[in-house]
Amino acid sequence: MSSILDETVEVPRRTMTLFFLVDTSGSMEGKKIGAVNESIQNVLPMIEEISETNPDAAINVAALQFSTGTSWVYDEPKPAQDFVWQDVSADGLTCLGEACEELNSKLSRSGFMKAASGSYAPAIILLSDGEPTDDFDSGLAELKANNWFKSAIKIAIAIGDDADNEKLAQFTGTSEAVFTVHNIDALKKMIRIVVVTSSQVGSKSSAAGDTTKQKQVIEQVQDAQKEEITDAPSSNYDDWN
Amino acid sequence: MELAAKQNIDLAKGNHATVVKELGRGGQGIVYLVDVDGKQMALKWYPKPPAGGFYKNLQRNVHDGAPSEAFIWPEDLTVKSNGCFGYLMRLRPEGYSEFGSFLLAKARFKSFDAMFTAAMKICDGFRLLHLHGYSYQDLNDGNFFINPETGDVLICDNDNVMAEGEQSGIMGKARYMAPEVVAGGKPNKYSDRFSLSVLLFMLFFANHPFEGSRVSDCPCMTEDFEKKFYGSEAVFIFDPVNRYNRPVPGKHINAIKRWPIFPKVLKDAFASELSQEKLKNPTKRIIEGEWEKIIARARDELIVCPYCKKETFVDPANGLTECMDCGKKIHATKVLSIAAQPGSRDIQLTPGSRIFIDRDTVPEAAVENDSNGIMVIRNISSEKWTVETPSGKVKLVDPRGIMPAKEGLKICFKVKGSDYKAVIKSN
Repeated sequence: MSSILDETVEVPRRTMTLFFLVDTSGSMEGKKIGAVNESIQNVLPMIEEISETNPDAAINVAALQFSTGTSWVYDEPKPAQDFVWQDVSADGLTCLGEACEELNSKLSRSGFMKAASGSYAPAIILLSDGEPTDDFDSGLAELKANNWFKSAIKIAIAIGDDADNEKLAQFTGTSEAVFTVHNIDALKKMIRIVVVTSSQVGSKSSAAGDTTKQKQVIEQVQDAQKEEITDAPSSNYDDWN
Repeated sequence: MELAAKQNIDLAKGNHATVVKELGRGGQGIVYLVDVDGKQMALKWYPKPPAGGFYKNLQRNVHDGAPSEAFIWPEDLTVKSNGCFGYLMRLRPEGYSEFGSFLLAKARFKSFDAMFTAAMKICDGFRLLHLHGYSYQDLNDGNFFINPETGDVLICDNDNVMAEGEQSGIMGKARYMAPEVVAGGKPNKYSDRFSLSVLLFMLFFANHPFEGSRVSDCPCMTEDFEKKFYGSEAVFIFDPVNRYNRPVPGKHINAIKRWPIFPKVLKDAFASELSQEKLKNPTKRIIEGEWEKIIARARDELIVCPYCKKETFVDPANGLTECMDCGKKIHATKVLSIAAQPGSRDIQLTPGSRIFIDRDTVPEAAVENDSNGIMVIRNISSEKWTVETPSGKVKLVDPRGIMPAKEGLKICFKVKGSDYKAVIKSN
């Protein structure tokens, strides 16, 4: 072999950062937060596989938990294989407004978006089961002016009927991007489907035409939902307790 | 509807396939390993089949058959079940890697020879596909499996192959699409040819032809920016005129390293095919057969260094070069000049090199040293060669036989029924 071929290096790949915004307020306590912990842990190897075999882009993961305050699981985005999910516990209020501000501060080249070979627009997955308890509107207004946020794939998973779907739709920009689940099994499946689909679509060079990546993710999740998630509303939600 | 292990699926030809396990899944469908009458095959299954004439198109493709052996082509369809269906194809053999793995440097070509073979086979596959009246429509880095040792190519994902003029509705990936398709136009054989040029560039230079400094500077590649950088404002990184999108040292490492070493004939072809003129004029793009000729001419310049035994390229005009590996000066003393239209093809002779008389991927001759250290040409074809010596004697070189690489010998090669006349000259 010629050593020039031996010296071939990987093509420079852009990075697509996948953000988890996880509601860890008191109402999430118990099975809900347990299911979130388990699902995110389980989906990380799938993200790794999508990233490893994709010549268009690599995927990094970042996670922000919000309750009475906010905190990042790691202080920088990491490849899925290096992202060890630490189980989060639930307690306190639902400061989604503050979470928007915190996300806004990191959606910049001086924040989390400083990948050497540039980025694809991020995918942001918001999980919540309740109403924001702080000044959500001004937090969101600030975030909505952010160009990274504008072009991001934004999907929300509303857990149970107490989630404020209207606020979640304001966050994602469309009510179609809010997926409601009513039981633990459906929540686990939904996290997997949304994360895998967002990772696949977000980390690939886009298709031409007028369909945005967010729209593609919505359509694919809707299809998968028909296939997989039987989520008939039940008369009581005992299994949330 | 997804399938489960041991499930039986009825096939259109009357027999059935039994699901063994899932092999993988993509945006459109899931691929299962299945057993059909004791033979293992792959079943691509669409849990949510594309609408319109998709099934009918697959039926037609099954009926018409593959354009060549290189295609992993639909061989049979399943009967529709709850509106879902799939098609059968052969399994990918061992030893082949996805093209994407080469870009990720997980697979590497063993030799330039294998790389040229792969390029020729990709062109040949698409030449035959277009010749059969099809267009591929969503050509991208996920459609090929290549054997890194031999350069053999398998073309997969043939479910979107349509008769030219028809639309599968699948739009492909912006990084591989022709500018007119990125802008919203319909894919056809001309846009296939553009995608082919991009893929060939990536195969030879292992970077994307439009990803230079200008694209690198874009912090966030949104869908709008993709439309611009791969569509309306695409600029080739080695464009002879527009110099503002050059590869970036430290980033586009492969392209910077490889561009200087490849033969001019190949670089000129890329500069022309990826020029602003051809980006904007789809019908001016060259056909696959032309690419094959260009690649064959570049391959003619590939020799083996007599010192380090590694491959290097030689100046076909004078046989002089410095080995790109060991740096030693090489002077090929003899050249095989094959009559061609126009002019001639000059192939420099160094021991270890292989000679392709016609323009396919099977060599007809091998240059070697005999036990006395004299350079000879071995007939590795299945046809006899007729050689005329300077004094007018006629000699035959049988298959496996040898002849000296001596100035003035006139050879008549026979390949696939055609005669190729050549003469050995000194540099």
